[in-house]
Amino acid sequence: MPCTCCIIPNDVLTRLSQDKKLSATLRKQLVDTVQVSHELRELRNQAAKLTSVTAARSAGLVTLAAAPSVTAYDCKHTQSLPGTPVPKPKTSSDGSVKRAFNQTGKVAKFYQQVFNRNSIDDHGMTMMSSVHFGEKYNNAMWNGSQMIYGDGDGSIFVDFTRGSDVIGHELTHGVTQHSLQLAYSGDAGGLNESISDCFGSMFRQWESKQDVKKADWLIGRDIMGAAAKKKGFTCLRDMADPAAKHCLAPQPTKYSQITPGMDPHYSSGPPNLAFYTACTTLGGYSWARIGQVWYHSLTGFGPTPNMTMKAFAARTRQGAHTLYPGEAAVFAAVDAGWKKIGL
Amino acid sequence: MDRLKIERVGGVAGFGGPHLKSRGELALSDLSAADQKAVEQLFAEPDKVPAARRGQADAFSYRITRGAQTIEVPEHAVPSAIRNSVKDVLE
Ligand SMILES: [Zn+2]
Repeated sequence: MPCTCCIIPNDVLTRLSQDKKLSATLRKQLVDTVQVSHELRELRNQAAKLTSVTAARSAGLVTLAAAPSVTAYDCKHTQSLPGTPVPKPKTSSDGSVKRAFNQTGKVAKFYQQVFNRNSIDDHGMTMMSSVHFGEKYNNAMWNGSQMIYGDGDGSIFVDFTRGSDVIGHELTHGVTQHSLQLAYSGDAGGLNESISDCFGSMFRQWESKQDVKKADWLIGRDIMGAAAKKKGFTCLRDMADPAAKHCLAPQPTKYSQITPGMDPHYSSGPPNLAFYTACTTLGGYSWARIGQVWYHSLTGFGPTPNMTMKAFAARTRQGAHTLYPGEAAVFAAVDAGWKKIGL
Repeated sequence: MDRLKIERVGGVAGFGGPHLKSRGELALSDLSAADQKAVEQLFAEPDKVPAARRGQADAFSYRITRGAQTIEVPEHAVPSAIRNSVKDVLE
């Protein structure tokens, strides 16, 4: 079986494949890897084109798949993707596999029942997760086609699959990729991150049937390790109070405090606070009205990769009128949210 | 010019902020010949670093400093010896 790691650049692989100090077998495998990498790249380019076409034309298509497939892979502490397929993840004795699988299925259900969305791309795309990525890897991510979860170092963070909001956050990056297609820097980057926090938090609230008052609005509470908790950090971010001392990653609270080049995990603070404020101003369940307005603004207009926060705010204000023409309180809540952060 | 200072930033937790850091340091000469060449290439043409995948989010990137020059490279383009050199700490 040839090595098919996609992390090593092709020119390095090519150079190694010509290195006479390596065995003929290994050199042959390296040549094979370059070929596979090339094919994968082609596949990715095709996938990107498909993303654009489906985003542009999806409105008229009929959705046939009932529920998307959910799959799980085990990276076995390497950084090779996707890793080894897990045949029966639902009943796996491996907690990470089981959590990633079950929670991903629930996120699918959340998007289906609450937003009538069929999976990440709204066309039944398979939801794929790889767990045990790397050694004590302190991260979870969306790589453009699947979710990836590290085990955490056991000190600052525990296993990233322990956060249902983290799983909802990562999957929502896929939804954004297949709708608004937001960039990952500037205003659009902050919005991209905020949308993942908003829907990750909403999923966590929906799972526990919490209304906006009962919800804690924390992101990453369930992945904090003992060393972080000991220092008083109870979460990564707090949507209700982005600059709070208990946040491991405290954020700005006003749009005017966002600076050029800021990491999107920090510039997401103001729009997170806008969403929280809108939800709590209106009351009830976050996903019932304000969540619908945000979802409509995310998925109802095709791609706008460089969308500004101001434009997104205007779209949600308009969306409140469009979706709930007879409910002035929805518009008022959305308006109060954006005004709170200076937009 | 042999020392490389490395800082890993980003990720879903927002490494590089006030409390969460990931840093490392190593000597270029300690790397394998292939990795040394890869690093030289990154510094020579930092704009030619392979772009992140479309739609990708929450991936780490690495700020690598040599002398007065600092480049930022997405994780997928960073040699594993550099990736493994960092240690995550709370501040
Ligand atoms: Zn994210």
